[in-house]
Amino acid sequence: MTNTNTDVIKADPITVQVILGALENVAIEMGHKLARMSYSSIIRESEDFGCALVDINGQQLCESSHSTPLQSGPIPGYVKGIREIMEERGDTFFPGDIIMHNSPYHGASHGPDVGFCVPVFHEDSLIGFSVTTAHHLDIGASTPGSCGIVDAVDAYAEGLQFKAIKVYEKGVKNKYIWDMLRDNIRAADMVVGDMEAQIAAAKIGSNRYVEIVEKYGLETIQAATDELMRYSETMMRNAIKQLPDGEYVAEGYLDGYLDSDDSTHKDIKIVVTVKVQDSDITVDLTGSSPQIPDKPINMPLIGTVDIAIYLTLRSILLDSTEYGNFPQNSGLVRPISIISPEGAICNPIFPAPTIARFCSGNIIADTLMKALGQVVPHQISAGVGNLQVVAFSGKKGNDYWVYMDIMEGSYGGRSGKDGMDTVDTLYANTRNNPIEDIESHYPLRVNRYELRDNEAAAGKWRGGIGSIREISFLSDASVSVEGDGHKFKPWGFDGGNEGSVGSLTIRDGKNKEGHKLPSKLPNRPTKTGDSLQLVGPCGGGYGNPLERDPEQVLSDVLDGYINKEKAFDDYGVIITDLNMVDHVKTNNQRVLMAK
Amino acid sequence: MKLFGIDVGGTFTDVILSDTESGITEIHKVPTSLEDPSDGVVRGILELCERYNINKSEIDHVFHGTTIATNAILEYDGAKTGMLTTKGYRDIIHIGRHQRPENYSIMQEIPWQDRPLVQRRNRLAVTERMGPAKDEIITPLDEGEVRKAVATLKENKVESIIVNFLFSYINPGHEERVKEIIEEEYPEAFVTTSSGVSPQFREFERFTTASINGFVGPKVKYYINNLEKRLKDTGISAELHIMLSNGGVATPKTVSEKPINTLLSGPAAGVLGGAWAGGLSDRKKLITFDVGGTSADIAIITNDGYTESSARDTSIAGYPVMVPMIDIHTIGAGGGSIAHIDKGGAFKVGPRSAGSRPGPACYGHGGQKPTVSDANIVLGRIDENNFLGGEMKIYPNAGYKVIDELAEELNLSREKTAEGVLQIMNNNMANAIREKTIQKGEDPREFSLVAFGGAGPLHAVEVAQILNIPEVLVPKYPGINSATGLLTTDLKYDVIKTAFLMSTNLKFDKLNEDFSTLEEKLIAQLKEDGISDELIQIHRSADCRYAGQGYELRVDLSSGVLNNEKLQKTFDEFHENHKNEYGHHFEERPIEIVNIRVTGIGVMPKIEKQANEPAYSLEDALVKTGESIFNLDGELQNVPTKFYKRDKIPVGVEFKGPAIVLQKDTTTVIPPNCTAHIEKYGNMIIKVGV
Repeated sequence: MTNTNTDVIKADPITVQVILGALENVAIEMGHKLARMSYSSIIRESEDFGCALVDINGQQLCESSHSTPLQSGPIPGYVKGIREIMEERGDTFFPGDIIMHNSPYHGASHGPDVGFCVPVFHEDSLIGFSVTTAHHLDIGASTPGSCGIVDAVDAYAEGLQFKAIKVYEKGVKNKYIWDMLRDNIRAADMVVGDMEAQIAAAKIGSNRYVEIVEKYGLETIQAATDELMRYSETMMRNAIKQLPDGEYVAEGYLDGYLDSDDSTHKDIKIVVTVKVQDSDITVDLTGSSPQIPDKPINMPLIGTVDIAIYLTLRSILLDSTEYGNFPQNSGLVRPISIISPEGAICNPIFPAPTIARFCSGNIIADTLMKALGQVVPHQISAGVGNLQVVAFSGKKGNDYWVYMDIMEGSYGGRSGKDGMDTVDTLYANTRNNPIEDIESHYPLRVNRYELRDNEAAAGKWRGGIGSIREISFLSDASVSVEGDGHKFKPWGFDGGNEGSVGSLTIRDGKNKEGHKLPSKLPNRPTKTGDSLQLVGPCGGGYGNPLERDPEQVLSDVLDGYINKEKAFDDYGVIITDLNMVDHVKTNNQRVLMAK
Repeated sequence: MKLFGIDVGGTFTDVILSDTESGITEIHKVPTSLEDPSDGVVRGILELCERYNINKSEIDHVFHGTTIATNAILEYDGAKTGMLTTKGYRDIIHIGRHQRPENYSIMQEIPWQDRPLVQRRNRLAVTERMGPAKDEIITPLDEGEVRKAVATLKENKVESIIVNFLFSYINPGHEERVKEIIEEEYPEAFVTTSSGVSPQFREFERFTTASINGFVGPKVKYYINNLEKRLKDTGISAELHIMLSNGGVATPKTVSEKPINTLLSGPAAGVLGGAWAGGLSDRKKLITFDVGGTSADIAIITNDGYTESSARDTSIAGYPVMVPMIDIHTIGAGGGSIAHIDKGGAFKVGPRSAGSRPGPACYGHGGQKPTVSDANIVLGRIDENNFLGGEMKIYPNAGYKVIDELAEELNLSREKTAEGVLQIMNNNMANAIREKTIQKGEDPREFSLVAFGGAGPLHAVEVAQILNIPEVLVPKYPGINSATGLLTTDLKYDVIKTAFLMSTNLKFDKLNEDFSTLEEKLIAQLKEDGISDELIQIHRSADCRYAGQGYELRVDLSSGVLNNEKLQKTFDEFHENHKNEYGHHFEERPIEIVNIRVTGIGVMPKIEKQANEPAYSLEDALVKTGESIFNLDGELQNVPTKFYKRDKIPVGVEFKGPAIVLQKDTTTVIPPNCTAHIEKYGNMIIKVGV
């Protein structure tokens, strides 16, 4: 099996699979070790990190499957950005270098997602890169935490900007950079601990990559990885070919800043035009709102917009329940082109701020799905509910504690299946933090965490149900939120009802009843005893509710998802006092309602 | 003493008898009775007794591996369950960790939402709330509400009630009180508390673990009670012991309370069987490699014994499970694994399997898909006249046909295709072993690969070659290895307590008191099981992490009164383990002891080793010289290959590959450049050449 260097062997289908297995194994190992070595709950519990190997041509070879797509996906972009900056500076890579990078205008997803890149060398030549990315709790922005920085006026206000910084040079630690990090970042012990874990995992990836190259030979690896790229590309092209040529358009809206006096800050429009031609697909975002120069919900084209589009196309056209798990690599995106005019919300110009771009990207994904619903109605879900990300923070001696909580959304109904309840949605797939972990580590109490009552959107296949999460403060602290989905309801599909919006309510000393807050909340001080209620949106319904199996409606009533009145109003299903479906009355009622 | 081991598998129920006085071992197989597995168990024992003239009333112990719990959860066929949980948190087991199992799928299913262990209608919330500090009651328990809720569940005819309260791993008081109330109000119900099953933090995982226990509980309890009764009725008064996932056994009574501990009953016994076989050849560092028709189970044994999996990494049927289990890594690769070209044109093997019906094409039961076994036929590695000791007919042409079809699609030769099937499968298995060794800082070159199960010895040597494992060990009875393992175990109970102690602020009084309490509890349990003092062993360990991390590593703790010096040793070991596991350690960071654990062992009688008689010569063992195909330096070559009968190979005589060793329950492939011999106690050792 060892280095047989004939052309036939190099790309033979057996060797290709063997090398694929070896590469995936490396990514699994990197992810596993990063999650376990890290300190902050955003990495170790929520798994908001990514790991990948990239070859010398900048192509992603493998990614860790146990992390969120929004972290692994952008890694080739990080590498490209780092190389461009280094080239501009006339700088080169050396063995032992470790490069830190987070510039959203040079491939990074947004500032808090700091990448650590280890250039991989074999026999004195650079052969690729081993990279980890992770969301850090704080990167020295104007207020504590790294989410909910919703009032940053430009890229400088978002925190520290790292543009291809060598934190280790030829194996020697650049002590002053680390001192500067500690001096400028809140909760620095935790953040630096996480960064060290990232470096350790990236180094492991580099070592394993070299081992594989030594075993099989660089030429064989290149031939095999070319084949793997071609393979993923073929998968995507075959799927696109099945779509009729044509243009499919959909519109979606972001809340933006609902409490702003400036009308350009809210009701932000996203327009997606999908153009299918043979095996190529173009996603054109022309017509979407212009960039907002002084609010950070603009999305970098590389690192956010592209990832939202790639992920959505793959999840719909090559759904892993149907197609299995095949390599996520750069070949997969070759048939896809993305167009967005410069200066638009989907392609901002530096120094427009971008740190709170998360929810914006999810609307692109949702709107793209809506457009594709016109061609592949059995492969999509109805409208999906967006997320709300909350930063809690407070003083602890001379330092800060910072905790990030990600509030989930839910999916719309699907062909033959109800929507997924209470999950992270679209291009995010993180995990919540256990209540027992939160209360053991922070002065917070989670008072309630359960499904919303009587809100499931009706449909032949009902929409997914969002949750309610209430958190109260056990000491004086502060909170900030970046969310969306308070104004525009997730869309229903093919006769299904619209879903319902999410909300954010605070109860404090002044207002025991509580008052509603917009989906973007800049840092706000809170007192002991105050509490925050987050309500997650419910996805849209799929298909005509009158076609839903009455027994299924009964089951929803028995499970308390909806009450009998809603069963009657939405579905025309009449349930007796003995909790049985009255089929005769139901049929009559449905006939009446259908008219 | 006469010891019986009985392992129930999907197809066969394997029985082994060891007479510790005479040192004689006998084995037997009967078909598994799928309706009621206890039929096959009783029949297997009686048939073996009859065949070897054993008085059934003289049997001392029966050790049993069962799949009742495993099948109930895999087939989603368990009890009608109800749950009492803290008000405000009714849907913890439905929300989960809010993560989708698949990153790239709209149409995916979410096990805990699509197949709930407790339907929402039977999840009732009651007023109570514990806090994170010891004895911190935020809201007292409303007992009136509890009684009402129990009445509702009784009315709804649930058979099993699970009590899941927040922070019960620190403050179990409310859960325990509710259990008492249920026992008063509805004594017929099967009751589980989350603190009783798995007192560890992370509510979704703990609640789900408890719910699995409640879901499988009534079935397992009924099965065990019924089996015990049937054995008695048949005149077998032996003590019954049930194999647990943690590598120990337990009495029917304790298993009936925590049936969740039997989820890996069979595979765990296999690991023990592998360890025992390794011990017969004085091998301490082993990789057990159990390959059947659909899956391969891999476990690692080091000088410290088998490794237990981290509670965070175990799951079954997509649900998380937080109970002690041997770390067994299962992948979908076996003799029936199907080779195919997928939608993007890639050559894949598994994880889908042809199973036992229709099975591989060469079985002649109508299988139309090319499998690993068919590839073995093409390469001349399975002897058509001697498959399963000649008891099962093989149809080579059917195997050629399906491989040819695949070869045409791939535009490769028949032989190259067949060899490719094996290469891909062997590399998949090697990757699984790599995850458990190299990635954890263990060097496979220091290990022996113990191969068993119907297909393990067919592939073991080539898998060893990929990983540079120097030798492969094939036990004497590779097909009934789990049953053998049952006779090598002890009573074993684990208890665990969350501690949350910092290395910078140790409270020795509390720590010593906690350990004593746990140990007293275990000793009492073992005594109740009839174990005398000198046969009781106690082991301490702790789950530690650097303060602030979210995952723990297990380290041993010494016995007796703990002090600074003793704990320093433990912390040093933690740094060392962390470095081995992750390639990195942080010496200056404080360490947190998250859980303390105590394992109590009640030593049981075990199988006696039996020496092979050197009665035959190698010529006696030779069946034929055939032709098999091997990959030599990247070229496929047809080489003359000797076929031997295992039971006639003399002890201590070295023979060379290429050779195929035939026996009733498996076939061993010894490629060129390897040598093999049979050892005194029956193991075959293959020295792996490259």
